[in-house]
Amino acid sequence: MNLERHRTGPWVLLALVVSSGCGAGPRPAPAPPCDQACQDGVALRGVRTAMKIAYNFAVAAQPVGAQDKMAPCVSFDGTRGGSVHVFGNASVNAIQGASIVALSYDFEDCLYSAAPDATANQNFSLTMTGLVTEGGTLSVQPTATTALAIASDSLSISGTVYDPPLDYAVSGCALSVIQNGNEVSGALCGRKAGFTF
Amino acid sequence: MLGDAALLVRPALAQEAAKQDTPSSVTVPPRPISDLDVPYPDGASGAASIVLTLVVERDGTVSAVTPNLTSEPFTGLAVDAARHWRFEPATRAGAPVRVRIRMVVEFHPPALPLPDEHSSEPSESRSAQPKPAAHEPRRIREIQVRGVKVEPSRTVTLSRAEVRQIPGTFGDPFRAIEIMPGVTPIISGLPFFFIRGAPPGDVGYFLDGIRVPLLFHIGVGPSVIHPALIDRVDLYPGGYPARFGRFSGGIVSGETAQPASELHGEYNLRLFDAGALVETPFDDHRGDVLLAVRYSYTAALLSLLNSTTELDYWDYQARASYQLSPRDTLGLFAFGSYDYLGERTPTQTLTLFGTEFHRVDLRYDRELSEDGKLRLAVTGGMDLSRLPDDRFVRDRLLGTRSELNVRVSPDALLRLGSDTQLDAYDVQFNTSNLSPAQARAAGLFPTRTDLASSVRADLVLRLGDRLQITPGVRLDYYSSQGNGAVGVDPRFATRLVVTKRLNLLSTFGLAHQPPAFVVPLPGFQPGGLRGGLQLAVQQSAGLEYDLGEATSVTATVFHNGFFNMSDPLGSTQMTIAGCPPGSFPEDSLGGDRGGQPTSGRARDCGKPPMSFLPLGTVGPDNSGGGGGGTRAANALAARTNGSSYGLELFLKRRLTSRLGGFVSYTLSRSVRTFDNQQFVATFDRTHVANAALAYNLGRNWRAGTRVTFYTGLPKAADPTDPRSTRLPPFFRVDLRLEKRWQLSRRVWLSFIAEWMNATLSKEAISTTCTLQGCQTQTIGPITIPSLGIEGGF
Repeated sequence: MNLERHRTGPWVLLALVVSSGCGAGPRPAPAPPCDQACQDGVALRGVRTAMKIAYNFAVAAQPVGAQDKMAPCVSFDGTRGGSVHVFGNASVNAIQGASIVALSYDFEDCLYSAAPDATANQNFSLTMTGLVTEGGTLSVQPTATTALAIASDSLSISGTVYDPPLDYAVSGCALSVIQNGNEVSGALCGRKAGFTF
Repeated sequence: MLGDAALLVRPALAQEAAKQDTPSSVTVPPRPISDLDVPYPDGASGAASIVLTLVVERDGTVSAVTPNLTSEPFTGLAVDAARHWRFEPATRAGAPVRVRIRMVVEFHPPALPLPDEHSSEPSESRSAQPKPAAHEPRRIREIQVRGVKVEPSRTVTLSRAEVRQIPGTFGDPFRAIEIMPGVTPIISGLPFFFIRGAPPGDVGYFLDGIRVPLLFHIGVGPSVIHPALIDRVDLYPGGYPARFGRFSGGIVSGETAQPASELHGEYNLRLFDAGALVETPFDDHRGDVLLAVRYSYTAALLSLLNSTTELDYWDYQARASYQLSPRDTLGLFAFGSYDYLGERTPTQTLTLFGTEFHRVDLRYDRELSEDGKLRLAVTGGMDLSRLPDDRFVRDRLLGTRSELNVRVSPDALLRLGSDTQLDAYDVQFNTSNLSPAQARAAGLFPTRTDLASSVRADLVLRLGDRLQITPGVRLDYYSSQGNGAVGVDPRFATRLVVTKRLNLLSTFGLAHQPPAFVVPLPGFQPGGLRGGLQLAVQQSAGLEYDLGEATSVTATVFHNGFFNMSDPLGSTQMTIAGCPPGSFPEDSLGGDRGGQPTSGRARDCGKPPMSFLPLGTVGPDNSGGGGGGTRAANALAARTNGSSYGLELFLKRRLTSRLGGFVSYTLSRSVRTFDNQQFVATFDRTHVANAALAYNLGRNWRAGTRVTFYTGLPKAADPTDPRSTRLPPFFRVDLRLEKRWQLSRRVWLSFIAEWMNATLSKEAISTTCTLQGCQTQTIGPITIPSLGIEGGF
């Protein structure tokens, strides 16, 4: 049970009491091998997730308009490493239920480790450096569709991806992907890369 | 305290002779002035002889009835009848005194056969049948003089015999709490309650004066105490006697049955568990020993069903007492409970949740002169809650208590007491693996040793023939992690006898309590006294009226003020999930959830009326956008003020009558003040009503039904329906059917079918909106069908 998703406060408390520990379960079968495309996909997931965390730290709940905030990079366990500078413009479309963003994320040795997950390609621990731009629509309501263009001229990523962990390192790579709903696809370091939320 | 101080006068004198010439030291027994006839139960067979121990008050009413054995339906019928008997009170030196007497009710089968079971004759014609050979009870020698009336703050008392007839309680006396006036459920079927607006964590549960950390197995399961051990359950919703403290929201007190005069036992077998109780006197009734146990075989059943869930629970009770001399008794009472919920994997069983507690109470009782009594007791125990990933909270406790009742004059009884308890908490949360919000919540429960100590006194003072007042005070000292706090709690209660049938009651009291957790769970006591003590100011006024025909009514108005309370449930306001049409915020940015949001996963609209942390704070899963986890963590530490007021009505015709039942109704309003905002408490319910009927169908068939209704929870502002302030109300029907066989004079067997929430009603708990509109979210149906066999001898 994902307590964060509950929007009715008292029930979060009750769920905490009554259903503590939901999510435990048998271990899955051993993961299949992860090739280069697989590894790039996991790394791309790491970049997008780091952008999400930075956005929520720096931009979410802020007044519309110009944005210029520094945010720490915080891993699932609270570990902090590096920082990200988020700047640009953001507004809302109340009719569609969406945020319209034109933001830049300047990662500086930004470490983000995902929570251990039974799905092998959801595991990563990556440090990112480089400037990434994000433009388009962030859906807030189900009635809108997330549509983003994410790009970077030079992005360095190092760390591990997958479970069991595989070393991963790229340097000065170009990034050019789009997100349409839950699908993220495009190119990383000239190679096709993508993943699905 | 009932059942405490006693002066044994034996043998009792013949009534009339005693009236002629009564030395001041002689107690004249009470004389019955009402009809003591107890009709032979319809459809029963065989004979029975039930010895009842009665406490007869100074106004001639019977305030307590204890049978020597359980032989249904006879015992229940005799107990219920005795509760409505009236006496000319016992006297000493011409002054009325409270006494304990014993009486025997003998049942013999009717001389003529019962009417044909297919007869359609109305009940009047049945009652015209020749009277069964029943049976003015004969008095037997023994009088114990008592000095205390029923506490004015006790609003409802239900005996076990009555509770057995209430559908939806599964014969469990503690489960009957939910039908009492002033009690507001969180969710139907879940045994956590608000009492007069006070949250579940502020309600104290006691068994024979010993605190019980939780009452029910696995939340919705059976109680942790064998029902046959419970004589009655009392509810003190406010202004309670000085002997109760450290809880600011109400007291639920169970009293165990008196030791039996002969060997008896009970057993039950249900789909998911089995239980048994056996008790016997020894050494010519100087001693008594009782053993009870319940064991669930759900683990084996689930294993047969190839479920990966493991569910296990059991409990035990053991009681022994020995009369060292006519005035001195040594007793030992031990009880405990174990619950475990886990998930099996190929390699191990993962703990999801587990609780466990044990208590051992060693007590020495000495009867003093008049109705004085001394009790010295030592209690040891352990509370344990298990969480996933080997996390746990454990409390090893040791306490002492003393109670002294002294009659300082014919009209004044002084009650003194003290107690001290050490709680050594051992907490393992592995916070390094928790999210920041979870770690912050876990930090409220550190490893440490707490101390609580109290002294208290009250005086039960009779002013004239009609007025009794009970002023009292208790002083509590708390210490935790180097912080100390003192609570001074004055109490005052009155009882005015207007007529023989009408009493006026009032109570006032202050009650302090350390910070509390959301609901009672073993070991989950916040440490460090952070934020200081909670305080409740409780007051009530009411009347009780005996309507005759085994029917009584009580009406009470109350007002409680709450200060500095830790009420995570009541103060966490409802918010609407999603954004209703037109309410999407135009001035602030929503969070990024990465993927495409789906229904029910969208952010809140605008800033909530009361936000503990700014939106955008990283939550437990680091998804951002603010959220419940962070708010929940903050709510555990938040303090609020509040108040509640209302009217409680309780109309009851004894449930073991041929046609019995009750109506319980509460009209109330509970509000909270937090962050400079006042709002209706999250679990406020304007109307709460319970009504039950139990009917003897004849030939030992008995059927019952119960209806429960309550107002829906307060609703967050809904732009699509501005006039709607509440979620939909809840309504459910419970059913019960019992067939009993009297196999011999003492041996009986019952088959019981019971169904809680036979209407399969769902309960509204929140509202979710999208741009297309808003919908009520429901939970359930929470329904419990049960088939079982009970028996006894």
